[in-house]
Amino acid sequence: MIAAAIGFVGIAVILCVAAVFGLLGVGQIALSGADAIERDGLARGRPAPRWSLADSRGVVRSSPPASKLQLIVFADHSLKSFPSVVAGLRELSHRGDVEIVILTRGRHEGAEALIDQLGLGAVAVLAGSAAIYGRYNVRVMPFAIFVDSAGLVRASSLVNHDWQIAKLRQVAEIPLEADELPGGSSTRIASAV
Amino acid sequence: MHAEGIFLQLAVLGCKASLAVLLLAAGGAKLADLAGFASTVRLFVPGRLPRALAISPVLAAAIAAGEVLAGAASLSMPAAGWLNPVVLAICCCFAVAWTVGYVRHAGRACRCFGALSRQRFTVAGIGRAVGLTLAAAAATAGVPQVSIELSLLTRLGLLGGGALVAMAAFSAAAAAGARREPEPA
Repeated sequence: MIAAAIGFVGIAVILCVAAVFGLLGVGQIALSGADAIERDGLARGRPAPRWSLADSRGVVRSSPPASKLQLIVFADHSLKSFPSVVAGLRELSHRGDVEIVILTRGRHEGAEALIDQLGLGAVAVLAGSAAIYGRYNVRVMPFAIFVDSAGLVRASSLVNHDWQIAKLRQVAEIPLEADELPGGSSTRIASAV
Repeated sequence: MHAEGIFLQLAVLGCKASLAVLLLAAGGAKLADLAGFASTVRLFVPGRLPRALAISPVLAAAIAAGEVLAGAASLSMPAAGWLNPVVLAICCCFAVAWTVGYVRHAGRACRCFGALSRQRFTVAGIGRAVGLTLAAAAATAGVPQVSIELSLLTRLGLLGGGALVAMAAFSAAAAAGARREPEPA
Protein backbone atom coordinates (compact mmCIF):
# COMPACT_ATOMS: atom_id res chain seq x y z
CA MET A 1 0.00 0.00 0.00
CA ILE A 2 3.04 2.27 0.22
CA ALA A 3 3.15 2.40 -3.56
CA ALA A 4 -0.51 3.33 -3.60
CA ALA A 5 0.10 6.01 -0.97
CA ILE A 6 2.99 7.54 -2.85
CA GLY A 7 1.32 6.78 -6.13
CA PHE A 8 1.91 8.06 -9.56
CA VAL A 9 1.39 11.69 -8.55
CA GLY A 10 4.26 11.75 -6.07
CA ILE A 11 6.71 10.25 -8.54
CA ALA A 12 5.49 12.47 -11.38
CA VAL A 13 5.79 15.64 -9.30
CA ILE A 14 9.32 14.76 -8.21
CA LEU A 15 10.33 14.02 -11.80
CA CYS A 16 8.73 17.21 -13.16
CA VAL A 17 10.49 19.37 -10.57
CA ALA A 18 13.82 17.66 -11.24
CA ALA A 19 13.37 18.00 -15.01
CA VAL A 20 12.44 21.69 -14.83
CA PHE A 21 15.39 22.55 -12.60
CA GLY A 22 17.74 20.44 -14.70
CA LEU A 23 16.60 22.00 -17.96
CA LEU A 24 16.74 25.51 -16.56
CA GLY A 25 20.28 24.77 -15.41
CA VAL A 26 21.21 23.57 -18.89
CA GLY A 27 19.68 26.74 -20.36
CA GLN A 28 21.58 28.90 -17.89
CA ILE A 29 24.84 27.18 -18.82
CA ALA A 30 24.06 27.66 -22.49
CA LEU A 31 23.48 31.37 -21.96
CA SER A 32 26.41 32.09 -19.66
CA GLY A 33 29.04 29.63 -20.84
CA ALA A 34 32.22 30.56 -22.63
CA ASP A 35 30.66 29.72 -25.99
CA ALA A 36 27.68 31.95 -25.37
CA ILE A 37 29.84 34.99 -24.95
CA GLU A 38 30.57 34.74 -28.67
CA ARG A 39 26.96 34.15 -29.71
CA ASP A 40 26.82 37.44 -31.58
CA GLY A 41 29.86 39.31 -32.69
CA LEU A 42 32.87 37.43 -34.03
CA ALA A 43 34.44 34.23 -32.77
CA ARG A 44 37.64 34.41 -30.78
CA GLY A 45 40.73 34.21 -32.97
CA ARG A 46 38.93 35.38 -36.10
CA PRO A 47 40.41 38.33 -38.03
CA ALA A 48 38.60 41.54 -37.10
CA PRO A 49 37.43 43.99 -39.77
CA ARG A 50 39.89 46.76 -40.57
CA TRP A 51 38.83 50.39 -40.61
CA SER A 52 40.00 53.92 -39.95
CA LEU A 53 37.60 56.58 -38.72
CA ALA A 54 38.10 60.14 -37.57
CA ASP A 55 36.42 61.45 -34.44
CA SER A 56 34.82 64.91 -34.28
CA ARG A 57 38.20 66.50 -33.52
CA GLY A 58 39.70 64.94 -36.63
CA VAL A 59 41.82 62.42 -34.76
CA VAL A 60 41.98 59.22 -36.79
CA ARG A 61 41.47 55.93 -34.95
CA SER A 62 42.14 52.60 -36.58
CA SER A 63 41.35 49.00 -35.97
CA PRO A 64 43.33 46.90 -35.36
CA PRO A 65 45.19 49.19 -32.96
CA ALA A 66 48.86 49.92 -33.52
CA SER A 67 50.06 48.58 -30.19
CA LYS A 68 47.42 48.46 -27.47
CA LEU A 69 44.57 46.07 -27.06
CA GLN A 70 41.41 47.74 -28.34
CA LEU A 71 37.92 47.50 -26.88
CA ILE A 72 35.30 48.46 -29.44
CA VAL A 73 32.01 49.30 -27.75
CA PHE A 74 29.00 49.27 -30.04
CA ALA A 75 26.62 51.68 -28.34
CA ASP A 76 24.63 54.87 -28.65
CA HIS A 77 22.85 57.25 -26.24
CA SER A 78 21.16 54.20 -24.66
CA LEU A 79 24.47 53.44 -22.94
CA LYS A 80 23.31 55.76 -20.13
CA SER A 81 20.69 53.14 -19.29
CA PHE A 82 23.44 50.72 -18.31
CA PRO A 83 25.23 52.42 -15.39
CA SER A 84 27.13 49.31 -14.34
CA VAL A 85 28.49 48.94 -17.88
CA VAL A 86 29.53 52.59 -17.85
CA ALA A 87 31.26 52.03 -14.51
CA GLY A 88 33.09 49.01 -15.93
CA LEU A 89 34.21 50.98 -18.98
CA ARG A 90 35.29 53.89 -16.80
CA GLU A 91 37.42 51.55 -14.74
CA LEU A 92 38.92 50.00 -17.85
CA SER A 93 39.63 53.42 -19.39
CA HIS A 94 41.96 54.22 -16.51
CA ARG A 95 44.25 51.39 -17.59
CA GLY A 96 46.96 52.31 -20.03
CA ASP A 97 46.96 49.07 -21.94
CA VAL A 98 43.44 49.12 -23.39
CA GLU A 99 42.23 51.62 -25.97
CA ILE A 100 38.47 52.02 -25.77
CA VAL A 101 36.45 53.36 -28.69
CA ILE A 102 32.69 53.76 -28.83
CA LEU A 103 31.32 53.03 -32.27
CA THR A 104 27.84 54.40 -32.90
CA ARG A 105 25.56 53.17 -35.67
CA GLY A 106 25.61 56.35 -37.72
CA ARG A 107 26.28 59.93 -36.64
CA HIS A 108 24.54 60.98 -33.44
CA GLU A 109 24.45 64.64 -32.45
CA GLY A 110 25.47 65.08 -28.86
CA ALA A 111 26.87 61.58 -28.50
CA GLU A 112 30.27 62.87 -27.41
CA ALA A 113 28.75 65.26 -24.88
CA LEU A 114 26.72 62.41 -23.42
CA ILE A 115 29.74 60.11 -23.21
CA ASP A 116 31.61 62.95 -21.51
CA GLN A 117 28.76 63.32 -19.00
CA LEU A 118 29.03 59.65 -18.23
CA GLY A 119 32.63 60.15 -17.14
CA LEU A 120 34.08 58.54 -20.26
CA GLY A 121 35.69 61.70 -21.60
CA ALA A 122 38.91 59.91 -22.47
CA VAL A 123 37.07 57.48 -24.71
CA ALA A 124 36.90 58.19 -28.44
CA VAL A 125 33.45 58.31 -30.00
CA LEU A 126 33.35 57.34 -33.66
CA ALA A 127 30.47 57.45 -36.10
CA GLY A 128 30.18 53.97 -37.51
CA SER A 129 27.54 52.61 -39.83
CA ALA A 130 25.11 49.74 -40.19
CA ALA A 131 27.60 48.17 -42.61
CA ILE A 132 30.36 48.15 -39.99
CA TYR A 133 27.94 46.72 -37.42
CA GLY A 134 27.11 44.02 -39.96
CA ARG A 135 30.78 43.17 -40.50
CA TYR A 136 31.12 42.61 -36.76
CA ASN A 137 27.81 40.66 -36.65
CA VAL A 138 26.49 43.05 -34.01
CA ARG A 139 22.73 43.30 -33.86
CA VAL A 140 22.16 44.41 -30.29
CA MET A 141 23.64 47.14 -28.13
CA PRO A 142 25.61 47.66 -26.04
CA PHE A 143 28.02 45.13 -27.46
CA ALA A 144 31.77 44.95 -26.94
CA ILE A 145 34.61 43.33 -28.85
CA PHE A 146 38.26 43.12 -27.83
CA VAL A 147 40.67 43.27 -30.77
CA ASP A 148 44.41 42.81 -30.34
CA SER A 149 47.18 44.53 -32.27
CA ALA A 150 47.51 41.50 -34.56
CA GLY A 151 43.98 42.22 -35.75
CA LEU A 152 42.43 39.17 -34.13
CA VAL A 153 39.28 39.10 -32.04
CA ARG A 154 40.11 38.27 -28.43
CA ALA A 155 36.52 38.18 -27.13
CA SER A 156 33.11 39.56 -27.90
CA SER A 157 29.89 39.80 -25.96
CA LEU A 158 26.70 41.63 -25.31
CA VAL A 159 27.34 43.82 -22.26
CA ASN A 160 24.27 44.65 -20.21
CA HIS A 161 25.99 44.32 -16.85
CA ASP A 162 29.41 44.93 -15.41
CA TRP A 163 29.93 41.21 -14.80
CA GLN A 164 29.79 40.71 -18.57
CA ILE A 165 32.67 43.15 -18.98
CA ALA A 166 34.56 41.20 -16.33
CA LYS A 167 33.77 37.97 -18.17
CA LEU A 168 34.87 39.53 -21.44
CA ARG A 169 38.15 40.56 -19.87
CA GLN A 170 38.59 37.04 -18.60
CA VAL A 171 38.03 35.58 -22.05
CA ALA A 172 40.32 38.18 -23.60
CA GLU A 173 42.95 37.19 -21.02
CA ILE A 174 43.50 40.72 -19.79
CA PRO A 175 45.61 40.63 -16.63
CA LEU A 176 44.04 42.06 -13.49
CA GLU A 177 45.59 45.15 -11.95
CA ALA A 178 47.01 44.80 -8.46
CA ASP A 179 44.12 46.68 -6.86
CA GLU A 180 41.60 44.43 -8.59
CA LEU A 181 42.98 41.27 -7.04
CA PRO A 182 41.36 39.83 -3.93
CA GLY A 183 43.34 41.07 -0.93
CA GLY A 184 45.18 43.64 -3.07
CA SER A 185 48.06 41.37 -3.99
CA SER A 186 50.58 43.01 -6.25
CA THR A 187 50.90 39.95 -8.44
CA ARG A 188 49.52 40.33 -11.95
CA ILE A 189 47.69 37.30 -13.21
CA ALA A 190 46.28 36.34 -16.56
CA SER A 191 42.78 35.03 -16.11
CA ALA A 192 42.20 31.76 -17.83
CA VAL A 193 38.84 30.58 -19.16
CA MET B 1 0.56 -8.70 -16.52
CA HIS B 2 0.10 -7.21 -13.06
CA ALA B 3 2.94 -5.87 -10.90
CA GLU B 4 2.94 -7.55 -7.50
CA GLY B 5 4.81 -6.13 -4.55
CA ILE B 6 5.67 -2.60 -3.53
CA PHE B 7 8.98 -2.28 -5.35
CA LEU B 8 7.67 -3.62 -8.63
CA GLN B 9 4.71 -1.26 -8.48
CA LEU B 10 7.01 1.68 -7.74
CA ALA B 11 9.20 0.64 -10.65
CA VAL B 12 6.23 0.51 -13.02
CA LEU B 13 4.96 3.90 -11.87
CA GLY B 14 8.47 5.31 -12.12
CA CYS B 15 8.86 4.05 -15.70
CA LYS B 16 5.48 5.47 -16.67
CA ALA B 17 6.16 8.91 -15.17
CA SER B 18 9.76 9.03 -16.42
CA LEU B 19 8.75 8.28 -19.99
CA ALA B 20 6.02 10.92 -19.86
CA VAL B 21 8.47 13.57 -18.61
CA LEU B 22 11.07 12.43 -21.15
CA LEU B 23 8.60 12.78 -24.02
CA LEU B 24 7.60 16.25 -22.85
CA ALA B 25 11.21 17.39 -22.60
CA ALA B 26 12.18 15.85 -25.94
CA GLY B 27 9.17 17.29 -27.73
CA GLY B 28 9.58 20.73 -26.18
CA ALA B 29 13.27 20.86 -27.09
CA LYS B 30 12.58 19.72 -30.66
CA LEU B 31 9.95 22.43 -31.09
CA ALA B 32 12.60 25.05 -30.34
CA ASP B 33 14.82 23.78 -33.15
CA LEU B 34 12.43 22.47 -35.79
CA ALA B 35 14.73 23.37 -38.67
CA GLY B 36 17.58 21.42 -37.11
CA PHE B 37 15.38 18.43 -36.31
CA ALA B 38 13.95 18.53 -39.84
CA SER B 39 17.47 18.02 -41.18
CA THR B 40 17.65 14.79 -39.14
CA VAL B 41 14.17 13.70 -40.27
CA ARG B 42 15.30 14.27 -43.86
CA LEU B 43 17.81 11.45 -43.41
CA PHE B 44 14.95 9.00 -42.92
CA VAL B 45 12.54 10.23 -45.57
CA PRO B 46 12.72 8.02 -48.65
CA GLY B 47 12.39 9.48 -52.11
CA ARG B 48 14.07 12.08 -54.15
CA LEU B 49 15.57 15.12 -52.50
CA PRO B 50 12.97 17.81 -53.33
CA ARG B 51 10.16 15.67 -51.90
CA ALA B 52 12.18 14.91 -48.77
CA LEU B 53 12.92 18.60 -48.38
CA ALA B 54 9.22 19.44 -48.59
CA ILE B 55 7.99 16.74 -46.22
CA SER B 56 10.66 16.76 -43.53
CA PRO B 57 9.71 20.07 -41.81
CA VAL B 58 6.09 18.93 -41.57
CA LEU B 59 7.13 15.53 -40.24
CA ALA B 60 9.52 17.14 -37.78
CA ALA B 61 6.77 19.39 -36.43
CA ALA B 62 4.35 16.46 -36.23
CA ILE B 63 6.84 14.28 -34.36
CA ALA B 64 7.70 17.03 -31.88
CA ALA B 65 4.05 17.91 -31.28
CA GLY B 66 3.16 14.22 -31.02
CA GLU B 67 5.79 13.68 -28.35
CA VAL B 68 4.50 16.61 -26.33
CA LEU B 69 0.90 15.41 -26.63
CA ALA B 70 1.77 11.81 -25.77
CA GLY B 71 3.84 12.94 -22.79
CA ALA B 72 1.15 15.30 -21.53
CA ALA B 73 -1.56 12.66 -21.92
CA SER B 74 0.54 9.98 -20.27
CA LEU B 75 1.37 12.27 -17.37
CA SER B 76 -2.13 13.56 -16.74
CA MET B 77 -4.09 10.39 -17.56
CA PRO B 78 -2.08 7.49 -16.13
CA ALA B 79 -5.19 5.36 -15.79
CA ALA B 80 -5.85 5.44 -19.54
CA GLY B 81 -4.66 1.96 -20.53
CA TRP B 82 -4.55 2.69 -24.27
CA LEU B 83 -1.75 5.22 -23.72
CA ASN B 84 0.71 2.54 -22.59
CA PRO B 85 0.90 0.80 -25.99
CA VAL B 86 1.11 4.20 -27.69
CA VAL B 87 4.14 5.16 -25.60
CA LEU B 88 5.61 1.70 -26.21
CA ALA B 89 5.14 2.17 -29.96
CA ILE B 90 6.85 5.57 -29.80
CA CYS B 91 9.80 4.04 -27.95
CA CYS B 92 9.97 1.23 -30.52
CA CYS B 93 10.16 3.92 -33.20
CA PHE B 94 13.06 5.51 -31.29
CA ALA B 95 14.90 2.18 -31.23
CA VAL B 96 14.29 1.59 -34.94
CA ALA B 97 15.29 5.16 -35.84
CA TRP B 98 18.50 4.85 -33.82
CA THR B 99 19.35 1.51 -35.40
CA VAL B 100 18.72 2.77 -38.93
CA GLY B 101 20.50 6.01 -38.10
CA TYR B 102 23.55 4.12 -36.85
CA VAL B 103 23.62 1.79 -39.87
CA ARG B 104 23.09 4.45 -42.52
CA HIS B 105 24.06 7.76 -40.97
CA ALA B 106 26.57 7.03 -38.21
CA GLY B 107 28.18 10.25 -37.02
CA ARG B 108 25.22 12.45 -37.88
CA ALA B 109 23.48 14.35 -35.08
CA CYS B 110 20.29 12.75 -33.75
CA ARG B 111 18.78 15.97 -32.33
CA CYS B 112 16.55 13.87 -30.08
CA PHE B 113 16.48 16.84 -27.70
CA GLY B 114 16.77 19.50 -30.37
CA ALA B 115 19.79 21.73 -29.92
CA LEU B 116 20.35 20.25 -26.45
CA SER B 117 21.52 16.97 -28.03
CA ARG B 118 25.17 16.61 -28.81
CA GLN B 119 24.57 12.89 -29.40
CA ARG B 120 25.27 11.26 -32.72
CA PHE B 121 23.98 7.90 -33.91
CA THR B 122 26.07 5.41 -31.95
CA VAL B 123 25.77 1.89 -30.53
CA ALA B 124 25.37 3.39 -27.05
CA GLY B 125 22.42 5.37 -28.36
CA ILE B 126 20.80 2.20 -29.65
CA GLY B 127 21.28 0.72 -26.19
CA ARG B 128 19.57 3.74 -24.61
CA ALA B 129 16.67 3.50 -27.07
CA VAL B 130 16.27 -0.21 -26.31
CA GLY B 131 16.35 0.65 -22.59
CA LEU B 132 13.53 3.14 -23.14
CA THR B 133 11.56 0.52 -25.01
CA LEU B 134 12.01 -1.94 -22.13
CA ALA B 135 10.88 0.75 -19.69
CA ALA B 136 7.83 1.42 -21.86
CA ALA B 137 7.09 -2.30 -21.92
CA ALA B 138 7.40 -2.43 -18.13
CA ALA B 139 5.04 0.55 -17.86
CA THR B 140 2.30 -1.50 -19.51
CA ALA B 141 2.13 -3.74 -16.42
CA GLY B 142 -0.92 -3.26 -14.25
CA VAL B 143 -0.74 -1.44 -10.91
CA PRO B 144 -3.36 -0.90 -8.18
CA GLN B 145 -6.00 1.44 -9.57
CA VAL B 146 -5.84 3.60 -6.44
CA SER B 147 -2.33 4.78 -7.30
CA ILE B 148 -3.24 6.02 -10.79
CA GLU B 149 -6.85 7.11 -10.34
CA LEU B 150 -6.64 10.91 -10.26
CA SER B 151 -9.11 13.69 -9.63
CA LEU B 152 -9.63 16.39 -12.24
CA LEU B 153 -7.72 18.90 -10.14
CA THR B 154 -4.74 16.56 -9.83
CA ARG B 155 -4.77 15.91 -13.56
CA LEU B 156 -4.78 19.63 -14.25
CA GLY B 157 -1.93 20.08 -11.80
CA LEU B 158 0.12 17.40 -13.52
CA LEU B 159 -0.72 18.89 -16.89
CA GLY B 160 0.59 22.22 -15.61
CA GLY B 161 3.76 20.51 -14.41
CA GLY B 162 4.15 18.86 -17.78
CA ALA B 163 3.70 22.19 -19.52
CA LEU B 164 6.46 23.63 -17.34
CA VAL B 165 8.78 20.78 -18.33
CA ALA B 166 8.06 21.32 -22.04
CA MET B 167 8.55 25.08 -21.72
CA ALA B 168 11.80 24.65 -19.79
CA ALA B 169 13.06 22.27 -22.49
CA PHE B 170 11.99 24.73 -25.19
CA SER B 171 13.79 27.61 -23.47
CA ALA B 172 16.96 25.62 -22.82
CA ALA B 173 17.06 24.32 -26.39
CA ALA B 174 16.43 27.81 -27.77
CA ALA B 175 19.33 29.13 -25.71
CA ALA B 176 21.60 26.29 -26.80
CA GLY B 177 20.55 26.72 -30.43
CA ALA B 178 21.27 30.43 -30.38
CA ARG B 179 24.69 29.67 -28.94
CA ARG B 180 25.68 27.12 -31.56
CA GLU B 181 24.20 28.53 -34.71
CA PRO B 182 24.50 32.30 -34.79
CA GLU B 183 22.53 33.97 -37.53
CA PRO B 184 24.61 35.29 -40.37
CA ALA B 185 25.18 39.02 -40.39
